[in-house]
Amino acid sequence: MGMNERVQLQQGDLWRDVRPGEVILEARGITKRFPGVVANDHIDFEIRAGEIHAILGENGAGKTTLMNILFGLLQPDEGEIYLRGRRVQFRSPLDAIQMGIGMVHQHRKLIPAHTVIENILLGHPQAGSVLNLKQAEEKVAALAERYGFKVDLRARVWQLSEGEKQAVEILKALYRGARILILDEPTSALTPPETERLLEAVQAMAQDELGIVPFITHKLPIVLAISDRVTVLRQGRVVARMATREATEQLLAQKMVGREVLFRLQKPDVTPGEPVIQVENLAARNDKGHLALDGVSFTIREGEILGIAGVSGNGQHELAEVLAGLRPVEQGRILFAGQDITHLPILDRWRLGIGYIPAERIDVGSIGDFSLIENVLMNYYFDEGFVRQGIIDYDKAYRLTERLIVEYNVATPSPRVKARYLSGGNLQKLILARVLSRKPRLIIANLPTQALDVGATEFVRNKLLAAKAQGAAILLISEDLDEIMSLSDWIAPIYEGRLMGMLPAAEAKKETVGAMMAGLQQEAYAS
Amino acid sequence: MGQFIARSLEAATIFTFAGLGELINQRSGILNVGIEGIMLFGATLGFIVTKTTESYLLGFLAALVVGALLGLLHGFFSITLGVDQVVSGMGVWILGFGLTTYIGSPYTGPLGLERIDTIFGVSPFFYMAVILVLLTWFVLFKTNVGLKVRSVGENPSVAEVSGIRVTRIRYACTTIGGMLAGFAGAVYALFYNPVWNYNFLMGWGFIALALVFFSMWNPLLLSGGALLFGLLWQLSLNPELFLPGIFSRYIWRMVPFAITIVVLVLISTKWFRLRWGAAKPEALGQPYYKD
Repeated sequence: MGMNERVQLQQGDLWRDVRPGEVILEARGITKRFPGVVANDHIDFEIRAGEIHAILGENGAGKTTLMNILFGLLQPDEGEIYLRGRRVQFRSPLDAIQMGIGMVHQHRKLIPAHTVIENILLGHPQAGSVLNLKQAEEKVAALAERYGFKVDLRARVWQLSEGEKQAVEILKALYRGARILILDEPTSALTPPETERLLEAVQAMAQDELGIVPFITHKLPIVLAISDRVTVLRQGRVVARMATREATEQLLAQKMVGREVLFRLQKPDVTPGEPVIQVENLAARNDKGHLALDGVSFTIREGEILGIAGVSGNGQHELAEVLAGLRPVEQGRILFAGQDITHLPILDRWRLGIGYIPAERIDVGSIGDFSLIENVLMNYYFDEGFVRQGIIDYDKAYRLTERLIVEYNVATPSPRVKARYLSGGNLQKLILARVLSRKPRLIIANLPTQALDVGATEFVRNKLLAAKAQGAAILLISEDLDEIMSLSDWIAPIYEGRLMGMLPAAEAKKETVGAMMAGLQQEAYAS
Repeated sequence: MGQFIARSLEAATIFTFAGLGELINQRSGILNVGIEGIMLFGATLGFIVTKTTESYLLGFLAALVVGALLGLLHGFFSITLGVDQVVSGMGVWILGFGLTTYIGSPYTGPLGLERIDTIFGVSPFFYMAVILVLLTWFVLFKTNVGLKVRSVGENPSVAEVSGIRVTRIRYACTTIGGMLAGFAGAVYALFYNPVWNYNFLMGWGFIALALVFFSMWNPLLLSGGALLFGLLWQLSLNPELFLPGIFSRYIWRMVPFAITIVVLVLISTKWFRLRWGAAKPEALGQPYYKD
């Protein structure tokens, strides 16, 4: 009898006759230490059949560690895991999968070049030596039907939307017999309708007595909408557990961060000054050579924030790159304080006072193997004070970095640490620090709070508002409509490379902006 | 004329064996630019063993074994040690070139054995190659093992979380790839051109390497490319047969290599990547570390 068959039998045994609401997984005293940190400190929790149990925590609260322990990617230093009362040990993801744990990764673990059904069959013990695609397709289609997923099983994964890819991961886990489904940031890449569909599917799976465990960093409304029970982690410990009906957004945020969180930002009252940037009839192409921006015009004045609202891929990234000087202009012109900068090289734009916060903080915003000092220098190296006769004044750069780390609350043991060791939130704070500390007159902020936790998001938004109060003009690009609505003075929804209108934020309705983002309606206001 | 076609097919057979080995390697994500070295080893050792024992079987066996060992060696460097695969492959080639020259030169000269019988006028290896092409295609695209190999070559970390043992699959592929290259070398030295000489292989391994890129990593297209190169090669030996008086034979001799260079340049262009790039195994040439 092969290893696989033995475990299969065990699993068949293990999951027989699950009663509604019974405890199917229990973790007791899970502890995991890494050099210098206790990532998980005696964590207890339980998962019941048919229950959606959200685990909530900021980046660095120990969520990822816990998730990896549950999926067998890490082994706990202390503590035990029980499945239906039986003690189990997961030495690898394969162990966890065979015991009925399924994982839906935030960064999809699918092979784009393969078909959906090939991805689902990959690693399945009963795939057969010669793949029996037809039989597998029937079974998977039945599962998809049951939970309301619509995916073409013969399509290649690269052709799918984010929501469909997630459905494939869920189907893959279910097809391998998962009874407990771990969802890592399930709604982070989804559009609102896709989120809606996911919530329905998750509820249907809970009806079938599966245990569902979403791990969530931000998007507190999702927690309230989706879960029956919440466990909140902070600094590796469980700081709260409650039934979701007793929770509020405010309360959860407070538990997560450990202090009061203000969801209402205080927009400073600034009288707009001179125009800083004027864009006229701008057109540009994307990497594939298609027209990504077409006839875009707007003006931003001192102390104003213009929010570009749009679903990813509608030209907003190209817009940011064109303004930053990273992408050639096909047509139209850009005026900065009256000066034509349409074809000005990047460095000259920095010198004029343009600051750029790229969306890709790891790939474009920083160099992982460089120290924080060197990463800060990227926005300063051309300054006379930091370079003399071609020699970098590292002492001065060190002092600057040290000051920025304190001012911007970057959690790091030293400025000499490599940037790759910073968490996403801390890295973004550092990038923000080096841009804002130059007091730019124009700030291009592309997805400035993407994938940040509640605390860091609040911090970044307040810093942007502070820059506005000091007279900076800000172009804010975001896929988070709430962010756009709460920060901007003007809102310009973007759809297929065109601005659909220019709405004063004070009068804009969320529904209107949402409809314009979808290209449904065009309103012309003069800026 | 019949002779010409038979010889072309024999040459194509050798390109096919070596190319299939490299294709299997690359489908699992491991690039082996040193197949020329493995072929030299297979050819030389096969030649020496057969010449001393007067047994073709032992010669081919020796070639398979030494090919497997060199495949394993390249696997050890590129999988376990995570060395740059181009560097490791070049190492295998230089080792093969240097060492086989040294151990082979005392055996310079013809094999002196009766040639292996043909079947219907074509070498038996041709039929083996046809079967192997179809088999490789079937295994890669229709079976579970093939799915695992392709997945490991596309994205090893995805394969890993699906419960696939990445290292094991890659070792298996480099070993099989090495065996096929060694075998191809032996077919060259024991059948196609049974004379040992300094640098007798003249870069056939590199042509086979280019063929894999040329084939879009598909065994069926690979065999088509092998046929084309086999014909070109034979033509370069006897250009007067078809195109008397056009160019000297030395220019014809250069053609397969010139085409190889053109193919390699073409597939490195942005145009090619945008249009056809999807066929390339995504993780080709990248070392994989478990995190």
